Amino acid sequence: MYPGLLLGIFSHAAIAATPVIEVEIRDHLFYPSEVRVPANTKVKLLIKNLDPTPEEFESYELNREKVISGNSKVVIFIGPVGPGDYPFFGEFYPNTARGVILVR
Amino acid sequence: MLLNSVILILQETLEAALLISVLLAINLQFGGGVRWLILAIVGGLATSALYASQMSRVSEWFEYTGQEVTNALLQTSITLLILLCSWTFLRCWSAGHDKVAAHYSFRFHLFATATVLLAITREGSEILVYLMGFYHQASFFHTMASGSIIGFGIGISVGVLILYGLFSLQGKWRVAAIISILALFAGNMLSQATLQLIQADWIESAGAIWNSSSLLSEESLAGKLMYALLGYEATPSGAQVIAYCTGIILVLLTSMLALKMNPTNGKAAA
Repeated sequence: MYPGLLLGIFSHAAIAATPVIEVEIRDHLFYPSEVRVPANTKVKLLIKNLDPTPEEFESYELNREKVISGNSKVVIFIGPVGPGDYPFFGEFYPNTARGVILVR
Repeated sequence: MLLNSVILILQETLEAALLISVLLAINLQFGGGVRWLILAIVGGLATSALYASQMSRVSEWFEYTGQEVTNALLQTSITLLILLCSWTFLRCWSAGHDKVAAHYSFRFHLFATATVLLAITREGSEILVYLMGFYHQASFFHTMASGSIIGFGIGISVGVLILYGLFSLQGKWRVAAIISILALFAGNMLSQATLQLIQADWIESAGAIWNSSSLLSEESLAGKLMYALLGYEATPSGAQVIAYCTGIILVLLTSMLALKMNPTNGKAAA
């Protein structure tokens, strides 16, 4: 059903070459709130939630959505995407938890 | 905070409400009871509570992509179950006589129960993680709980409207509407499963193949409703579009086969 699945599994070998970018959540804020990543490159986003409360990372522009339990970390792969500003936010605390990924 | 929780819960509820409405419309056609639905909802709440309580552990699987893999597995299973529901529904509908109908009716209830159970497991777990996060914050909890109840209420109301809409249609038109919704739902599930596997880096993504956010933004209320009901994405990847079309085609092919088959051969093929 997924023609790319086999190819995808083999691509795990290439993870070491994928840039890793760390983002922390503290007091319902993202640190850093501006993340710079290279254009047309797949990036591994490592998000650490230091709050005791859960959060949901969401970006409409990047089609990403993922629950992050309190005091835990998750990995989200993004890209490759072209240059531009891609906003993201925490769906559970959208009034404070906001950030942007600057793809250059 | 109130509006946030209304929208969040509404989004999660709408998908399940649409699915349950369509399956109920089929069920009422059979004239069966709704005990299967109660079983599916209670079972689904139990498994979603289990999933929600183990969320951080599940997240750690497969190098921190366990959530995506689990969700993709749930969504693919829902797609397969929808195919089985469509098959049994149309076999029963075209059979004409009661003995064959009873045979398919039991199978339909079995598949429908499993479909709803899995759908609630996924959607319900996100709602539970959200609610549990606010439970210890007394100042927020009341606002958030009211918002959730409103969102849930609107979701259920939309489901009831869809059910009445389906029942206002007659004969073939109702069947066509039911199958169309099931086809779109299956497409949505396969597309979401694909997106989950792209997010986990199990499938390579070449980026978006179009951008319709100027026509209908995913951030607008209409966009959010379209996302919840049909899986609308303003910037889908090619793999997602292929998956969506595959889901639709699979349901339509299953339906055509179910209708074409001679009723007397039905038992052997099922």
